[in-house]
Amino acid sequence: MKILVPVKQIASLDDQFEMRDDGRDVDEDYLEKDLNEFDHFSVEEALLIKEAAGDEVEVVVAIVGDDDADDALRTALAKGADRGIRVWDDALANADGTSIARILAKLVEREKPDMVFTGAQSSDFGSATTGMALAGLLGWPHAAVVSNLEYKPGASSATLRRELEGGLEEVMTIKCPAVLSIQLGINQPRYASLRGIKQAKQKPVDELSLDDLGLDASDVAPAFNVRKMYAPQRGKAELITGSAAEQAARLAQIIKEIRGM
Amino acid sequence: MIPDHDPQDITRVLFDNFPLWMLTTFYVVAIGAIGVFLYGVWAQIRKYRRGMRAGAWSPFWPRFRTMFARVLDHKTIKRRARGAGAAHMFIFYGFTVLFIGTSIITLDHDITGPITGLHFWHGAFYLFFSLAMDLAGLSLLGGLLYMMYRRGWLKPPRLNYHRPDRSPEDPDYDRSDYRREDWAFLWALILIGMTGYLVESVRLVWLQNDPAVWNYRWWSPVGASLAQLMKGFGMTPEGAANFRMVLWWTHGILALTFIALVPYTKVKHIFTAMGSLMARDPEAKRRMPMADVEAEKIGFSLLTDFSDKYLVNVDACTKCGRCHEACPANASGYPLSPRDLVLSLRELANDKLSHASMPEGPIEVIGTEVNMIRPETLWSCRTCAACVEICPVGIEHLPMIVQMRRALIEDGNFDTILQPTLKSLQKSGNSLGENKRKRPRWTQKLDFEITDARTEPVDVLWYVGDYASFDPRSQKVTITFARILKAAGINFGILYEDEQTAGNDVRRIGEEGLFQSLAEANIELLNSCQFKTIVTTDPHTFNTIRNEYPEFGGNYEIEHASSMLERLIREGKIPQPANLDYRVTFHDPCHLGRINDCTEAPRQVLQSMGVDLVELGRSRDNSFCCGAGGGRIWLPDPPELKKPAELRAAEAAEIPGLDVLVVNCPKCLNMLEDGVKGTGNEGNFRVLELTELLAEAMGLDAKPKDEDEASETAAVPA
Ligand code: SF4
Ligand code: SF4
Repeated sequence: MKILVPVKQIASLDDQFEMRDDGRDVDEDYLEKDLNEFDHFSVEEALLIKEAAGDEVEVVVAIVGDDDADDALRTALAKGADRGIRVWDDALANADGTSIARILAKLVEREKPDMVFTGAQSSDFGSATTGMALAGLLGWPHAAVVSNLEYKPGASSATLRRELEGGLEEVMTIKCPAVLSIQLGINQPRYASLRGIKQAKQKPVDELSLDDLGLDASDVAPAFNVRKMYAPQRGKAELITGSAAEQAARLAQIIKEIRGM
Repeated sequence: MIPDHDPQDITRVLFDNFPLWMLTTFYVVAIGAIGVFLYGVWAQIRKYRRGMRAGAWSPFWPRFRTMFARVLDHKTIKRRARGAGAAHMFIFYGFTVLFIGTSIITLDHDITGPITGLHFWHGAFYLFFSLAMDLAGLSLLGGLLYMMYRRGWLKPPRLNYHRPDRSPEDPDYDRSDYRREDWAFLWALILIGMTGYLVESVRLVWLQNDPAVWNYRWWSPVGASLAQLMKGFGMTPEGAANFRMVLWWTHGILALTFIALVPYTKVKHIFTAMGSLMARDPEAKRRMPMADVEAEKIGFSLLTDFSDKYLVNVDACTKCGRCHEACPANASGYPLSPRDLVLSLRELANDKLSHASMPEGPIEVIGTEVNMIRPETLWSCRTCAACVEICPVGIEHLPMIVQMRRALIEDGNFDTILQPTLKSLQKSGNSLGENKRKRPRWTQKLDFEITDARTEPVDVLWYVGDYASFDPRSQKVTITFARILKAAGINFGILYEDEQTAGNDVRRIGEEGLFQSLAEANIELLNSCQFKTIVTTDPHTFNTIRNEYPEFGGNYEIEHASSMLERLIREGKIPQPANLDYRVTFHDPCHLGRINDCTEAPRQVLQSMGVDLVELGRSRDNSFCCGAGGGRIWLPDPPELKKPAELRAAEAAEIPGLDVLVVNCPKCLNMLEDGVKGTGNEGNFRVLELTELLAEAMGLDAKPKDEDEASETAAVPA
């Protein structure tokens, strides 16, 4: 019995930053890398199932990223995942959700997991496509924004609850194996102590290239291209106070300023 | 002195007119009692040795000497309990003299006499001996009576066994056995003392016709007075002889039973307290225990993780309640009393480690069952070290708490509110969830540049610290301190965005792995810079760099801002500040005052401003924690409980006409401002940092560059 949990290393922004010279992304120096918020929950969900089943479940975490991404992978391993897989190739620098899904589909072929849990989305780009695309490629059922899950390892189906718009919730059963995109709040993720993260270095991590998965650069070429990334001009606001006459005068002054009179 | 008699005759009868069976019975009982005593001692030692062996008693002789001096001078027992301390001294010296005296008789009668024929217990020696024993008895009884008066009538709250960490329904709430034992102990000693005097007096009455006894009776003044009294009531020598037999046996059996029970009752504190004092680590309040973060496990989750020293510690507690009274968590109604923590561990150890064989399976310490330490108890601690500092027998509660916290952190067993804080510390080296880059942003509000100590040599490297860098209120103090340094012409620099928290609270919350990695990174950075000394306004940072970094290879000369300011004023680098017409009081930060003994410098700075300093009820080593320490600043206090800072603010509010409550730590500032608001004292007095008050006295313009302009930040894409 095996659960595959693909995770992502995301970037978060400082409130002061500069753009890269080509204007298509933020300068790396201003980004802090971390394990995707949503993935704390998907990893936790897999670990809870593992613990409830008395450990005969193997939890494998997978990440697509350069050696920088080892940190995120190790955080997941420190929490209790059994082993990790990291896939990287320079051709993946601009990979989109679908490219990642292609890689993950190959990993599923290799690992033959009984379930795949992804985070509902990434907290930096938020496209929420990877899980869906992966299910599509595999021809597996998929459920998005799963907020509750009942699943016994090896069972042929799982019961889950999803959050819908307008405060509605939906309960459904899904055939396994399946790809589930896990929503925040489904559980309470555990803390990985720094000592745990360091010790997770001893856990096995397979490093794979595109070649190892039988893919080449053209298979993972992104379907879109970022042309420009920029911070829009911030609007101005001012609270106008005073008597009605003073307020009117100030308003008139502002209008004049804007119209350049 | 002994004109008419052969000195050989001046002595005391021991077993005269005892039939052989009686003599034999006595020796059998005595040897039996000693046997029971020895077995008990062995069983206790076996219990201690079931903990981890820590080598805490070596080097033996220096430690023995220190312990011995403390036992003789009673310094630790007299602190914050003068009456009880003096009474204990009377009991101790009385008991010791009586014990030595009795041992001398045994030596003379059972050892040197029979073996070498040497008898010395007679003549002048005997007379002085008698006098000493009589006075020792008085000392013992006097001390005991005071202790009874204290327990029975004075009833200081620290002696009641109220437990904050349990509710009355809990099976282990009840401490009435302790109370009974306390009284039994006092009564047993009193009875032994009194029967001793009675035996002596009836012997005198019995032997009144023997001048070698009667003429020298005043060498036993108490016994002689009683004898005089008995004679007055018509007691005859024959009657006395019979009565003596009864009393002699009562006294003997009581004393032997007492000895036999030493290792099984609170009397054992005689030995455990000595053992505990000997193993005492004078750094325990400053430096948390080192741990191997690579090891299989970290922290204490099982009883067998505790070292032998800690097991002796918990057996040494005399329930004096000093720590219970000093603990800010207990005072504010949190479920923690260091005394009860120690006593729970003692009960647990007695229950699990005292038997011939160890129980099967691991002995968990943290949990909700009987005598276990509850997680909420451990999280209540502010790591203020008030307990460690005041404990008369050298118990180290705080390191034990931190060790147990390490196990909780590793297990993820803690308030989830702490998770973002710890993650932020892992990622960005600060506890406020801020990006590294923002750390030096406060410098933008200055009208001068601070040297970058990473690239340029400086005299003074200023380690700013987390709260001082990020907390908006503390930033004002930070800016003020920068301006004072500038005005004093100091060549100083900071580490800009590369500074990370020194890790005091990280270590004390129990995240040892993170602490060690922060310490290593900071030391590496510091070692790459050129500076002479370090200064910091944050006592937590001060403590950790001063006392904890050396173990990681970081040896620096570090000064707290208060000492530096005091020195700059003394050396005339800062012009003599103008007099401020304020009535102020000073809150000693735990990590500065109690933990690092820096209590005078801030007061001298205050003095130089001519303010009217009125001390708080609890100050210097007895300062009352603001509640921020040990990571508690990251955890919200439940609204139904009083915050320690509110208790402190209320204490300050008792000072009539108070203008300013002066603090000397960014965290105290944060906590006490809240405490003042929470107690409705906002309009009554202000909370100011020492630095701010000094700046005012120096006439430094309070408002630097326009603040709004500097805090303007770049746009964030939504
Ligand atoms: S360190 Fe302070 S808060 Fe913690 S137990 Fe000791 S006295 Fe109480
Ligand atoms: S731990 Fe120390 S201070 Fe606290 S009650 Fe026991 S002996 Fe007294």
